[in-house]
Amino acid sequence: METLDIKLPQMALLYGLCLLPWLLLRLIGLRLSRDIGIGILRMSIQLALVGIYLKTLFDLNNPWLNGLWILVMLLVADFSILRRAGLKVRYFILATFIAIASSILLSTAYLVILVIQPAHFYDARYIVPLAGMILGNCLQANVIALERFYSALRKNENEYTTFLMLGATRREAVRPYFREAVKAAINPTIAGMATMGLVSLPGMMTGQILGGSEPWLAVKYQIAIMICIFTSSTLAGIINLTLSLKIAFNAYDVLREEVIKKS
Amino acid sequence: MPPIIRFDQVSVTNHEKTLLADISFTLRPGEKAVLCGKSGSGKSSVLRTLLGLHPLKSGRVYFQETLLTPASVQTIRSCTAYIGQEPILGADSVREALLLPFQFKIHRSRQPNETQLIEVLQRLQLPKDILNRDSKRISGGEKQRIALARGLLLDKKLYLLDEVTSALDEDSKQVVFEVFSDPQLTVLSVAHDPEWLKRCDIVFELDAGRLTEVKPNGNT
Repeated sequence: METLDIKLPQMALLYGLCLLPWLLLRLIGLRLSRDIGIGILRMSIQLALVGIYLKTLFDLNNPWLNGLWILVMLLVADFSILRRAGLKVRYFILATFIAIASSILLSTAYLVILVIQPAHFYDARYIVPLAGMILGNCLQANVIALERFYSALRKNENEYTTFLMLGATRREAVRPYFREAVKAAINPTIAGMATMGLVSLPGMMTGQILGGSEPWLAVKYQIAIMICIFTSSTLAGIINLTLSLKIAFNAYDVLREEVIKKS
Repeated sequence: MPPIIRFDQVSVTNHEKTLLADISFTLRPGEKAVLCGKSGSGKSSVLRTLLGLHPLKSGRVYFQETLLTPASVQTIRSCTAYIGQEPILGADSVREALLLPFQFKIHRSRQPNETQLIEVLQRLQLPKDILNRDSKRISGGEKQRIALARGLLLDKKLYLLDEVTSALDEDSKQVVFEVFSDPQLTVLSVAHDPEWLKRCDIVFELDAGRLTEVKPNGNT
């Protein structure tokens, strides 16, 4: 079953649909023309570029090039996680890279090599979009984990110090904040799984159905990707927080102020 | 008898600000000492430095002749009970607050039983039914005494008391004074209360991070 192409005049018609919300926003006194214009332009350019590189990657289907692309995605994600979590990149980049890379590689390799089993494990058509989807969700989870953990620790510094004074090791003293941060990080994924298909049709499944796949096949892929997202988010969050404990504290278990960005 | 605490020419700075300047003193087992001085003179910094919470600029700190280092800090903390001015109980119920330190590996084998819990509450004149109360719904004075009770349950070698009687009424203060006057306990405290000062063996006077006077107290 072929997916119907959207031709250029129809694309123009699609952009025209934006005029409706734009007009409504003006009517209620919200002058967002510039932001809307920039948003739509950026989306179009970025996706066009994605289209170009994905086509190139798929055409060449070279394992090294595919690997290099995943490496670039990982590095961009690591910088983004640390910037958004309010932590200084130069201190945490290695820990975050190890956490994210190991979790993404494990879950993507598990999914592609053991579950999907394509002719070549490095097939760009599988590993690039799947690793990208897992990474995108893992990024969100890690931002939440790190941000929650370090803001809870700063907010409850006296409590943390009390635990140390009562004989706790660093790991024991941070445990309540560690658990809360991991819970906050994976809660959206768990809630997403619990309501999947009831509240909305997931993006990948919709994409596959539009792409001509059988609904059952789309469902199986969606389940596979959700399990991998859940696994990698949990692993990466725990590994990232654990590794960060070695960096964020001095030898006497006191939080180093210099590793956290001033808000 | 070897000292339990020894500060040897200790200086501590934080963000360029001098907290302690060239401080030297010793405290022997069973002694009660009090640190006095104006606000910001460095009284609490002495206690925090001993617990490794302020990095040393120079000098050495010893606990039972063991040098304070990253390797020894946890042992020092586990032999010491620090009770602050506004104690944090860190648990929902009073019982959980008292048992909190026994969740940590270092104290896990010494979990107190119900009798010991009630005994320590009685020592500080707290009713036994307080055990099941919400720790957020008890008064400041009760909270302070629960923190002290938790310290006593741990049966530490050294008690660091940072203005612990500030939230207590006269009767409760007397109880606390009596408990910590026990000759078995070594106490380094920060206090302003004249009666506690009278009960202590040594009074250290601090001014702008400097130890200006050490008065052996003639009243004990």
